[in-house]
Amino acid sequence: MLTRCLGARRLRQIRRAFRHGAVTFLCLFLTVIVLRGTIGAGKFGTPQQDFDNLRHHLNSHRRVLEEQHSEKTTTTTNNYATFDISTILVDEPSSKDEITRDPKAPYTLGPRITNWDQQRKRWLQQNPNFPNFIAPNKPRVLLVTGSSPKPCENPVGDHYLLKSIKNKIDYCRLHGIEIFYNMALFDAEMAGFWAKLPLIRKLLLSHPEVEFLWWMDSDAMFTDMAFEVPWERYKDHNFVMHGWNEMVYDEKNWIGLNTGSFLLRNCQWSLDILDSWAPMGPKGKVRDEAGKLLTRELKNRPVFEADDQSAMVYLLATERDKWGDKVYLENGYYLHGYWGILVDRYEEMIENYHPGLGDHRWPLVTHFVGCKPCGKFGDYPVERCLRQMDRAYNFGDNQILQMYGFTHKSLASKRVKRVRNESSNPLDVKDELGLLHPAFKAIRLPVSSS
Amino acid sequence: MGQENLSAHKRSSAANALPTTNGRARSAPRGRQIQKTFNNIKITILCGFVTILVLRGTIGVNLSSSDADAVNQSLIEETNRILAEIRSDSDPDDNDTSFSHNTTAAFSLGPKISDWDQQRQQWLQQNPEYPSFVRGKARILLLTGSPPKPCDNPIGDHYLLKSIKNKIDYCRLHGIEIVYNLAHLDKELAGYWAKLPMIRRLMFSHPEVEWIWWMDSDAFFTDMVFELPLSKYDDYNLVLHGYPDLLFEQKSWIAVNTGSFLFRNCQWSLDLLDDWAPMGPKGPVREEAGKVLTANLKGRPAFEADDQSALIYLLLSKKEKWMDKVFLENSYYLHGYWAGLVDRYEEMVEKYHPGLGDERWPFVTHFVGCKPCGSYGDYPVERCLSSMERAFNFADNQVLKLYGFRHRGLLSPKIKRIRNETVTPLEYVDQFDIRRHSTVSSESKSQ
Repeated sequence: MLTRCLGARRLRQIRRAFRHGAVTFLCLFLTVIVLRGTIGAGKFGTPQQDFDNLRHHLNSHRRVLEEQHSEKTTTTTNNYATFDISTILVDEPSSKDEITRDPKAPYTLGPRITNWDQQRKRWLQQNPNFPNFIAPNKPRVLLVTGSSPKPCENPVGDHYLLKSIKNKIDYCRLHGIEIFYNMALFDAEMAGFWAKLPLIRKLLLSHPEVEFLWWMDSDAMFTDMAFEVPWERYKDHNFVMHGWNEMVYDEKNWIGLNTGSFLLRNCQWSLDILDSWAPMGPKGKVRDEAGKLLTRELKNRPVFEADDQSAMVYLLATERDKWGDKVYLENGYYLHGYWGILVDRYEEMIENYHPGLGDHRWPLVTHFVGCKPCGKFGDYPVERCLRQMDRAYNFGDNQILQMYGFTHKSLASKRVKRVRNESSNPLDVKDELGLLHPAFKAIRLPVSSS
Repeated sequence: MGQENLSAHKRSSAANALPTTNGRARSAPRGRQIQKTFNNIKITILCGFVTILVLRGTIGVNLSSSDADAVNQSLIEETNRILAEIRSDSDPDDNDTSFSHNTTAAFSLGPKISDWDQQRQQWLQQNPEYPSFVRGKARILLLTGSPPKPCDNPIGDHYLLKSIKNKIDYCRLHGIEIVYNLAHLDKELAGYWAKLPMIRRLMFSHPEVEWIWWMDSDAFFTDMVFELPLSKYDDYNLVLHGYPDLLFEQKSWIAVNTGSFLFRNCQWSLDLLDDWAPMGPKGPVREEAGKVLTANLKGRPAFEADDQSALIYLLLSKKEKWMDKVFLENSYYLHGYWAGLVDRYEEMVEKYHPGLGDERWPFVTHFVGCKPCGSYGDYPVERCLSSMERAFNFADNQVLKLYGFRHRGLLSPKIKRIRNETVTPLEYVDQFDIRRHSTVSSESKSQ
């Protein structure tokens, strides 16, 4: 019938054209699929994504079914290994009585205070039981550190956080320093490395008896238990960080100083510098734009969102006249010690030197920058990071254990061995480093000085 | 006629069909055939090639290895290997693997000392800058600890971390020092017995400490304001939470709890530790002792000797020697068994206030039996962990109150602001700082 309409030849032509069209279409289709598979076609996705989507879809179905069927079994399992902690943590939404900041207003850490020095002085006079100096030349110090309230992504991350806080507890017990371990996010806009700013401000204002606030990252460990910070050196300064003047003011190098371990005096000047430091912090567009500015202005800085350290370098380099005279960039000892150049030399240090030096010979702090043991990925190989953290921890712990007559079997070993026999006159035996009853912890009558 | 037409039609179509092919075949039959074959082969190869590519893209038929995948895979394997190594009990230099249990010689914690009270008094007189009383309060040292290797599961370490933060908070508010023990000082006394050599060691090394407070890692402070009524214990040397009737009449193995107790730094305590230790040494000694304890104490399951049952047995069998200096405290929860407490936190917040320490607002909530650091506990995991989270947040709310925050809910890690920021923060400090409301006398007193 078609033949009669169109003519046989025409029909053949049409059929051929149709066949060609089919083949072309088929080939095009296959090409698109292949391209998706190899290089991914943007929002059209990749086969891997399809697979994941499908699996997730099926799984969610399955999970719903499982929950309905086996609700009893999930609540009665006694096995910790298979348990998912996120099923019990409840992220409740904001309630009506919650006080929130006006999102349109420019970010501030809090209402501006201008007379903090006077307020604090009056309070100290009214409260002689809470002096800001616990001994001549020994200010009251609060060591502040912290970590996330949720479990680490890395299964051994929490264990290293535990060892790290035990290390800090030991140093602070020996040196009469109090500890505040923070697990709360005070301001959702200042999340990540910026979270310390609202925390520090809050602590300064709530603890007027504290003279110096010592912020320390959770990945930094004390490796010199005998070293006492030279407080008199900073009597005319308010902000002490490890760094080099040339690298910050002349080179504007983004690692010219380190904000992983620093001292901040409780005074009006500190509140002001926190206010000037904060603007680059708020999450989102502000932080990203600030990051671009910092990468442009600072030497060697890679491209990423603004971090508190780069922001401080920039602040000091551009407003040196305003802040510089009260900032002390310490490099006489390792208030922050980059782990990469220290951890391999511990045995050499044990052989040649002794605790109490605090510098390259026996570092006060070994800071595992970049290791990120709580997360899944760091900037360095996992093995090197974790093994070296063990070594640094044991290096510091040996100085504590020697007080009690023990030491680790080696810097890599968790086991301890006795190095001093028990005696029937234990009080005659002195520990080598004199850390049991050190001079800097001795009690004297409380003295309040401004 | 139709048939003729049909056949004619057929013939004509055939004729139509044939002439074309025939025509072609007649004009260049060979060339055409070759070309057609060539075309077919081309299409076949093309299709085959495309199929292989598609298969590679979807299910990964690796004819040539993908570098990124291989590197990723090896990274993951390497990480897992390291984690397994860190978690294992083995040590890089484990020389003395042969551990002979010394069953012939009697176990001792150390050389016997009989004049510790005099030695200590002398030391305190010679060292007035290390008094045993600070600001009218006896010096207390809180001792806690956990095993040196990572927990069998990651959740355990997370709750150990929360537990030590909780203890740091309480101790900062009350001027107590903390020693966190992560070492086994005595190989024979491992596990729950590890606290004995550590207590003895600390008593000797810190003569300025008046009380040593042992606290388990699974015990949380839930009353941040409550302070120990130490004046009640002036005539006693050991303070335990327990009930006299459970101990003396029923001889129950849970009559007292050694998860939270106070030991005075004196000769009596050293003697008690020496009497307590013999059931501890790992191996046949501990096993045999376990059987004795199960036989003599009510309700005790069969397992190796633990320090709590051993102490109960000691207090029962040598009652006249020890009991006059032991205080069985039950007017507040020096140890509070968690199961009866955790569900009532909201009710407590509504009706009562911190500082009571008893069943209205428990001082310590102790998660006995939960064992989050191990693989299996005695209770369902979900109940244990959600209860521990609630206890932690319940206590944390009391700490955060000074800063104007509280948790959004007892299971929520997030906090919310409950007090506006102000330019005069010190008025709130006066109102809410726990330290300023504790019962501390205003002058410092020497011993």
